[in-house]
Amino acid sequence: MKKRQLENLLKELHQEAYHWSRQCCSFDEDLAKDVLQQVYLKILEGKAIYKEKSQIKTWLFSVIRFTALEWKKKAKNTYSLEAEFDVAETEQEINAASHEELIEKLPERQKEVLLLVFYHNLTLEKAAEIMEISIGSVRTHYDRGKRNLKELILKKTLHENNR
Amino acid sequence: MKTIDNSEDQDFQDLFSEMKAKDSAIGVPQFPKIRKSKSWGLIPIGIAASLALLAWFYRGDGSIQHLDHDVIIITLEEGQNNELQFKIESTTELESWESPTSSLLTDF
Repeated sequence: MKKRQLENLLKELHQEAYHWSRQCCSFDEDLAKDVLQQVYLKILEGKAIYKEKSQIKTWLFSVIRFTALEWKKKAKNTYSLEAEFDVAETEQEINAASHEELIEKLPERQKEVLLLVFYHNLTLEKAAEIMEISIGSVRTHYDRGKRNLKELILKKTLHENNR
Repeated sequence: MKTIDNSEDQDFQDLFSEMKAKDSAIGVPQFPKIRKSKSWGLIPIGIAASLALLAWFYRGDGSIQHLDHDVIIITLEEGQNNELQFKIESTTELESWESPTSSLLTDF
């Protein structure tokens, strides 16, 4: 793919890419901007090469996710990717004001798969490609994520009704 | 594969739609302008700079400056009988020269 063509495609996906970057950076806008800048630099310098094996959006999202993880590691603010603990929240803890805060309470991979499927309208196969895990694992994270999010929403509603 | 395959997912769909609506109000930074390689464009600038440098090195004696107005130069000279006399001259050109030891006059 020619550089000019790639640049145009990146421009088209810029808004979605920014939102995904923000979601990968725990909704930190400044960090998301830095990560996205780094992603574009990687692409233009040829460090991240699009081989046209997947859709450009899937590839771009994968690069963003990887770069965000790199930044998190650098900042020594890593999350255990293997953490598979179910959400164990107390009533006091369910005081998340926004949807973002609610989603942030989910384990990292559950959060990612739900965002990719429901927010970015991607299939589970595409989510598996982006997250670099098997379709089976994605399905597990997806089901657990939905269950946990449902519980969180219920707890939040109960908490609000008891006020 | 269908991503949202049953009606109970509708709640999630609504939640994320609300989230999208909120996010649309967030300012997205501009797509960065990609600078094209200017290596070829720098060549004429480099040649011009080299020529200017050469011209500066090989320029003639530029100590003579042409002035806009006449200048009257008054000098005090010693005559044949050791008497001092003023010499007054008018010129449009001024040759400037500074002694390498002139700083000694001011510093000490």
